Amino acid sequence: MARTEVEPDLHPLVEIDQVIHASARLMVLTYLYVVESADYIFLKNMTGLTWGNLATHLNKLEETGYIKSAKSFQGKKPHTTIYLTERGRQAFQEYKRSMQQVLDDLPD
Amino acid sequence: MSQSISLRDAERKVFHTAVNDGLWDIFLGCFFLMFAITPFLSERLGDFWSSVIFLPFWGLVYLAIRFVRKHVITPRLGSVKFGASRNAILMRFNLVMLVVNLIALVLGLIAASLTSRIPGQATSIALGLVLLAAFSFAAYFLGIGRLYIYALLLGLAPPIGEWLWVNHLTSHHGYPVTFGVISGIMILTGIMLLLRLLRSYQAARDDFQADGG
Repeated sequence: MARTEVEPDLHPLVEIDQVIHASARLMVLTYLYVVESADYIFLKNMTGLTWGNLATHLNKLEETGYIKSAKSFQGKKPHTTIYLTERGRQAFQEYKRSMQQVLDDLPD
Repeated sequence: MSQSISLRDAERKVFHTAVNDGLWDIFLGCFFLMFAITPFLSERLGDFWSSVIFLPFWGLVYLAIRFVRKHVITPRLGSVKFGASRNAILMRFNLVMLVVNLIALVLGLIAASLTSRIPGQATSIALGLVLLAAFSFAAYFLGIGRLYIYALLLGLAPPIGEWLWVNHLTSHHGYPVTFGVISGIMILTGIMLLLRLLRSYQAARDDFQADGG
């Protein structure tokens, strides 16, 4: 019979933020964490994601309140800038702490 | 995952991606072109006007670079605003550059007032050291390796030029040869970086920029 209860020692893994834990979103958040803001093109180039993938992940992050986008015009062209919210910054730091704790506690 | 994740590396990658378009290399190359061409112009125009004549040239180069960055680079590379840590590094870099430039100015004024009493080789070594220091600091703070090569080349250019001139191998303290070669290297490096960027990144379509996908 499969066990449904979580071992107490593995609790940190369960508490890992699953929104951040997806590799594509983790990449996006890592880059946004180290800059003030970036636009879609820059994030696409840095992460290597396709436009569709990037848009999907950014929507998810925006829904969660981790990022915000600001729309403006550069000349006649619309331009979207994305930045990390304070909530997103805290969530990323918490994710980093949790992952470090989990990985540090693993036996060699 | 065998690769370690470093936020510092990620930040460095962002910075290098944003600044490695070759445009600064082209601008610096055009700047040092003055050292190569001015000696010829100064025979007719004098020292002051032969330098001043370069201001509109640099202005044009600067405007051209801004135009290329806005209409060619940004649509391909995107735009980014650096975070607090990078801004702090750039602030420290600017302060160091200010100090180096002030030292260069003081040395230049001393050299100008004591032209006849200072040996040419001493002036060229001092100029070489200032250029070596400025570009080494830039390489260190910005983490751009090729600036160390520029630092070495620019540091050696004045004394080598002076040596060529003393030995009657070139005219005008050898500057047309040494600085001409170095500015050529810089401009060529810049053009190569620019071409590599243009090949690596395609311009994004307007509708993608508009709604992000």
